[in-house]
Amino acid sequence: MAYFAPCLYAFGGSLAFAMVFNISKNKLLLSAIGGFIGQLTYLLFQFIISNDVALSLLATMAISLYAEMMARVTKSPTTVYLAVALIPLVPGGGVYYTMLDFIHNDIDLGITTGLHTLGISAALAMGIILISSSINLIRKVMLNRKRRKKESAIPCKE
Amino acid sequence: MTGSQISHVAMEIGIVLLSNGAETYRVDESMHRICMAMGACDTDIFVLPSNIILGITIGNGKHITRTRRIHARGIDLKKVEFINNLSRRVCYEDLSYSEILTEIHTINSSPPYPYYLQVLAFAFVAQMFSLFFGGTFQDSSIGFIIGFGIKLQMDFMARLEGNIFFINIVGGLIAATVALAASRLGLTSHVDAIIIGSIMTLVPGLSITNSIRDIIAGDYLSGIMKGVEALLIGAGIATGVAIPLSLLSPIWGV
Repeated sequence: MAYFAPCLYAFGGSLAFAMVFNISKNKLLLSAIGGFIGQLTYLLFQFIISNDVALSLLATMAISLYAEMMARVTKSPTTVYLAVALIPLVPGGGVYYTMLDFIHNDIDLGITTGLHTLGISAALAMGIILISSSINLIRKVMLNRKRRKKESAIPCKE
Repeated sequence: MTGSQISHVAMEIGIVLLSNGAETYRVDESMHRICMAMGACDTDIFVLPSNIILGITIGNGKHITRTRRIHARGIDLKKVEFINNLSRRVCYEDLSYSEILTEIHTINSSPPYPYYLQVLAFAFVAQMFSLFFGGTFQDSSIGFIIGFGIKLQMDFMARLEGNIFFINIVGGLIAATVALAASRLGLTSHVDAIIIGSIMTLVPGLSITNSIRDIIAGDYLSGIMKGVEALLIGAGIATGVAIPLSLLSPIWGV
């Protein structure tokens, strides 16, 4: 159980961040669940994958999927769910340790940690890009199909 | 509705969206749809994080251009959500000019959470992330105090219109100084967890998200501006934390 404690912390942190971003009352919990889901994905896939850049990518994809779904369901902007849920995944620790290495005059290690942090940030960006672009694509395909059905339906009636 | 009324309504909606943390494409698309729904023949909109240029053509071939500069940007996703709903209504229902303006005014002046709750939420973020990065409950309580302090400092400096880079340097400075002092007093052995946890409150989550989403949507200029903002904030935090760590650590021996 203690292994999954970070999920709860991420949930609490996201909930508080939702208040900082002034998200309306009825969506506070929904947006905080995104943070929980991201961390849960991260921890579950840790059993299979050991590379934390890949883990960040998967977690972001899970969050992104959740955010896009909830945005469609509740008819509100995706950012409401995405921005809050993404925060526990932001590599604050990476930035800190990079800076610590530079302070200790360990430039080589600093560059290594820095590049690793950059990798995680890139994974976050890629996760969002992959999911929201594919959802957009799917939506367009569905819209087109609907339109075509309508168009083909009209001549049939006549 | 006359051309100037159309452009006024669209501009007001765009301004509220942009200055409260909406993505660029959302501002662009909302304004475009509103103009078209209210009877414009054609629109040309150019949105940057700091200003909006709106040109509309109305029935008799007359062309109107409006431009607005945004000085203060905040984060208030409730307003973004409500304005988003309003712009959907404007497109599908027949609202009059004055009705829309009253709605915009009501949304724009809707109060945020009470101040004590905002401060508590900020402190709670620091506490939760101190736990998240491997602190004990005692460490997280120090994180709570730091979060409290950082919120008060940020609001104070924002009121004096300090620049964002400097605000975050001071925030990081407070976090690292208090954490080191606590360690010096023997209250904690996880300085790292406390510092990382408290600087998570300063992380520009919305800038990062919006920067990525703008770039996906093809608004590269806005995406770069927001990305640079996020980078500057990150650099500011790191600088702020680095100062006490490199100056106080050798003296205090922690």
